[in-house]
Amino acid sequence: MSQIMNPPSSSSRIKVRPATEREGRKDYISIRDFGFWYGQKKALDAISLDIPERQVVAFIGPSGCGKSTLLRNLNRMNDLVDGIRHEGDITINGRSIYDPGLEVISLRRRVGMVFQKSNPFPKSIFENVVYALRVVGVRDRAVLEEACETSLRKAALWDEVKDRLNDSALGLSGGQMQRLCIARAIANRPEILLMDEPCSALDPIATGKIEELIHELKEQFTIVIVTHSMQQAARVSDRTAFFYLGKQIEYDTTEKIFMNPSQAQTEAYISGRFG
Amino acid sequence: METSDKKPSPAAAPESRFTVSPMTLAADRWMGRLIRFGGVGVVLAVFGMLAFLIFQVFPLFTGAKVTAVGSLTVPANAVAFGEDEYGDFPYVVLADGKVVFQQASDGKKAHEWSPALGALKVTAVRSYPRAGLIFLGLSDGSVQELRVAYRSTFDAAGKRAIEPVVTALPPVAIGKSGVPCQEVWNAKGPQSRLMLVRQEVAGKPLLTAVRLTERKGLGGKARVTVSAPFVVAADAASVEQVLLPSTAESLIVVGKSGEVRTYADDGETFSFLQAFVPFKDAKDPAVASAGMIFGNVSVVFVGRTGEQQVWSMYPQLQPDGKSLRRWGKIHDGETLAGAGEGVYAAEGNKCYLAVAGGKLQLRNMTTGSLRWEGDAPAGSIRQLAFAGNYDRFTALSADGKLHRWSIVDHHPESSWGAFFGKIWYEGATGPAYTWQSSAGSDEFEAKYSLVPLFYGTVKGTFYALLFALPIALTAAIYVSQFLRPEYRQVVKPVMEVMASLPSVVLGFLAGLWLAPLVDPRLISLFCAIGILAPAALFAGFLWSVLPQPVRRQVKPGMEFLWLLPFLALCAYLAWQAGPAVEAAFFTVKDTASGLPVADFREWWRQTTGATYDSRNSLVVGFVMGFAVIPIVFTIAEDALSNVPNSLVSGSLALGASRWQTVWSVVVPTAISGIVSGVMIGFGRAIGETMIVVMATGNTAVMESNPFSGMRTLSANIAVELPEAAAGHTHYRALFLGACCLFLLTFVINTLAEVLRQRLRERYKVV
Repeated sequence: MSQIMNPPSSSSRIKVRPATEREGRKDYISIRDFGFWYGQKKALDAISLDIPERQVVAFIGPSGCGKSTLLRNLNRMNDLVDGIRHEGDITINGRSIYDPGLEVISLRRRVGMVFQKSNPFPKSIFENVVYALRVVGVRDRAVLEEACETSLRKAALWDEVKDRLNDSALGLSGGQMQRLCIARAIANRPEILLMDEPCSALDPIATGKIEELIHELKEQFTIVIVTHSMQQAARVSDRTAFFYLGKQIEYDTTEKIFMNPSQAQTEAYISGRFG
Repeated sequence: METSDKKPSPAAAPESRFTVSPMTLAADRWMGRLIRFGGVGVVLAVFGMLAFLIFQVFPLFTGAKVTAVGSLTVPANAVAFGEDEYGDFPYVVLADGKVVFQQASDGKKAHEWSPALGALKVTAVRSYPRAGLIFLGLSDGSVQELRVAYRSTFDAAGKRAIEPVVTALPPVAIGKSGVPCQEVWNAKGPQSRLMLVRQEVAGKPLLTAVRLTERKGLGGKARVTVSAPFVVAADAASVEQVLLPSTAESLIVVGKSGEVRTYADDGETFSFLQAFVPFKDAKDPAVASAGMIFGNVSVVFVGRTGEQQVWSMYPQLQPDGKSLRRWGKIHDGETLAGAGEGVYAAEGNKCYLAVAGGKLQLRNMTTGSLRWEGDAPAGSIRQLAFAGNYDRFTALSADGKLHRWSIVDHHPESSWGAFFGKIWYEGATGPAYTWQSSAGSDEFEAKYSLVPLFYGTVKGTFYALLFALPIALTAAIYVSQFLRPEYRQVVKPVMEVMASLPSVVLGFLAGLWLAPLVDPRLISLFCAIGILAPAALFAGFLWSVLPQPVRRQVKPGMEFLWLLPFLALCAYLAWQAGPAVEAAFFTVKDTASGLPVADFREWWRQTTGATYDSRNSLVVGFVMGFAVIPIVFTIAEDALSNVPNSLVSGSLALGASRWQTVWSVVVPTAISGIVSGVMIGFGRAIGETMIVVMATGNTAVMESNPFSGMRTLSANIAVELPEAAAGHTHYRALFLGACCLFLLTFVINTLAEVLRQRLRERYKVV
C-alpha cells in the first residue's frame, strides 16, 4: 500500500492529501442514475455521483470500465458517436446538459477538455491558444494577446514559448504540447476542465509538471481527471471514483479510497491484484 | 539402444540456428534491382517523350540550307536564261535573240537556235523559265514568241537523249510601229493572255498591250485571236520597273521618283487603282527594286539604302464606308546591306531572294525571317529564277556565268514569330494570331499561330474549373465531414465510377444531347443553377430558427433528407420561371420579323455584338466539369478524411461549431491534399480532348465570350494530325503544340508540387 502512495519523484508534497473543503456547491456536477449505451452495448449503468465545485475528482478503473465514456458525456463529446443512447440525467450547476434549450456548443464552452493524446492544431502557438476566442468572434488583438499570455502563464508554459508564439505549435515537445492543450482549454475560461488521461503519453518530468498545474488550476476550475495511474489519482485528486465494468463501485474522498476502501473490488484494484 | 545411438544427442549437436535462406537474399537483391529499373525507366520514358517531341519540332527552327552547285560559262552577251524541269539542260538567250543550249554537267554547247528576222533586230528579251517561253521584243515594236520544248529520243542502242526544240511563232505587232521595244512581258490570265511592251516615244515611256484569246475549234486546232493594241498606264510619268502578276489581273508601275501606280484589269483595258510612295519618309524615296511575291497580292519594295517594305492588297475601309481591297503596307522588313539590286520571288511559297550590297538573302515575306544569307556572284545579276519545287535557284550574271544553287528548306514559313507572334497575313486587315492550317487553294498560306490554341485551352480549363471546383470541393467537405459514414461508403465509389467514364461518352452527351437541350432554355438553366446557393442558405437559415426539439428529430448527417427535396423544388420552380425571366429581361426586336421576341441568344447577339454558338464554352465547361469533379472530389475527400479525428474533437471540445471546425482546422490541415486534387483536376482539364472536340465548334478564335466555342491544343492535335502530312510544317506544328502542352502541364505540376510541399510543411500533423 505504501508503495502505491509513494510518489515517483522525491517531491515531499506528493501524498494522499485530505479532501480540502472549499466554498462552493457540493453537487456542482450531479450525475443521477446515468446509463449509457453504444448501440446494444451498455457502457455505463446507474452511475450516481456528485462532483463538488473547484475540486479535483479522479475516475479510475481498468480499461473498458466506462470512466472515459462518463467523462466524455460531461461535455457531450459522445454525441459524435453513432447509435448512442442514455438514461438518467447529468446536471451542471443545477441545469441538465440534455436540456433541449441548451446548445451543445455553449455547454462545451463551459466544460473544457484535455485529451489523452495532445492535439495541437497545425497553427502557431498563439493561434492555438486563442482558438476558442477566435471561434466566438473575438477580433481585438489586445484581448487575444492578453488571453494568450494569461492562459500560457496558467499552464506554466509562458516562459518557455513567449519568444516564439508565432512558431508552429508542432515544434514543441510532447509535454509542452500537452500543456499547450491545457492552455488552449482554459483560454476559453471554462468552469469545468475534463482531463482524459492527460499524462499517459508523457515522461515523468512532464507528468510532474502537469500534476503541479492541476493543483494550481483547482483554485479556479472544477477538474475531472481520468487516469490509469493510481499514483496520479492519489497525488492530484480530492475525490476518487472507482468504476468496474460500467458500474460505479465506490466514490469517496481519495484518502478514504486509497487508505480504507469500503469495497473489496476497490481494494483489490488499487493494491494491484487486477486491472 | 541401437536406435537411440543413431539419434544425435541434443547436447552434443551444435545448436542449429535459423538462418536467412540464400533465396530470400537473392529475391531481395533482385527485387531491389527490378524496382530501381522501373523507377529509372519511368524517368527515362518521360524524358524520352520530351526528347522525341523536341526531335520532331527542331527542324522548324533551323534555317534554309543553300549550297552553290557550280556555275556554267555562257556567252558574255547572254541576257536571259531558262532550263528544263531538272535543270540538266539550261539555255541562255543572247542579246541578238540566239538561243544557246548547254549541258549542265560539262557546259558543252549542245544546240543552238537563231531567229530568222530579216532586217529586224532584237531589242528586248524576256524569258519565262518555268513555262519555257521566250519573248523577243523587236526593233519595229512587235514581239516574237519562242516556245522551248525538250524531246526525248532513243537511239538504236536504246540510249535516251534529250533534244531541245525551239518553235518560233509569227511576230505580233503590239507597240507603236517602228519604235523598238525596250521591255516585253507576257502573262496568262483566266480568259486571255496579255502581252505588254515598253517603248520610248519622244522621251516618254509608252506601255502598250494586246490580249491573245485562244479558242480551240472542234478539230482541236487552236485559233488565236489578237485584240487591237491598247495603251496602258498612260498617266505614269516615268517607268523604272513594271510588275505584271502571272495572272495578268493587275499592273504595277514603279516610277523613277519612287511613286508606285497600280492598275486593275477592267476587262477592256487597265484602269488606275491607286498610287502610293512606299519610301515617302526616306531621304531618297526612290524604289531600288521591287518584286511580286507568289500569290500576286504582295510586293516587296527595297529602297536605295536597303529599307524593305511589303505592300499587299487587303480590304480597307474607304471614306464612303465601303470596304474595298486596296494596297497597304503590311510589313517593314529588316534593312538590307545596300541598295536593292533585285527581288526574286520563289514559286509555291512566300519566300523571296533579295540581292543587295553584294549579298543574297533568302527571306520569308510573311514572317520577315531570314532563311539564308550568302555572297552574291561577282557580276550583276541579269535574271534569277527559282525552280518550281523550291529546291533550286539559278542566276545569270552579267559576266557570262550561269550560277546554280540548291536549297534544302522544308519549313520556309516557320519561325518563332509565326508560332507565337502576331502576324499580318496577306489579305488580313491587320496582324493577328491565327491558326488556319488548310484551305481549298494551293496559293493559300497556312497559318500556324499556337496562341489561339493556348487561349482556347486556358478558356476551356477556366470554365471547367469554374464549374467543377466549387462543386467538387464543397462536396468533398460535405461528404467527409458532415455526411453519415454509411452514406459516404456509397457516395465515394459512385464518384470514382464517374471518374472512369470515358470522356468521349461525356463529349457525345454534351454535343448531341445537352447542347440542344440547354440551347432554348438557357435562362431556365441559369435560374435553376443560380437559385441553388441562395436556396441552400435559406434552408440553413430556416434550420437555425427551428426550435431545438424539432431539430433534434433529425440525426446529424441526415439533414440532406430535408435539404434535397427543398433544393429540387426550388430548382424546378426556377426552371419553370425561366421563360418569364427571359420575357422580362431579354426581350429584343427580331431582326427578321421586327416583332419583339423573348430570346436570350438574340439578346446576347444584339446587346454585346458577340456571337452565340450553341456548342459554346459553357456547355464544354459544364461537361468537362463532370470529368474533373470526380478526380478533384476523390483526392480532396481523401485528404479531408485523413485529418486526424483528434483535431476535430479538439476543436469541437473548445466550443467550435462543426462548420468552424471544418473551416479553421480540417481544411487548413488537409490543404496540401486539396491543392494536389485541384492541380490534378487542372491537368485533366488542360489535357482533355474528346469533350472539347465533340462539344465545341473547334474554331480557333480568341474571344473571352462564354457563348463562343474554342479549340484547345489537345483537340487541335486530335482533329488535325490524321490529315497532316508526315514531316510537313503542319505536322511539326502539331508536335510543337504537343510540346507546349507537355511543358505547360510539366510547369503546372511542378508548381503544384512545390506549393503542396510548402503547405504540407506548414500544416503537417504530428
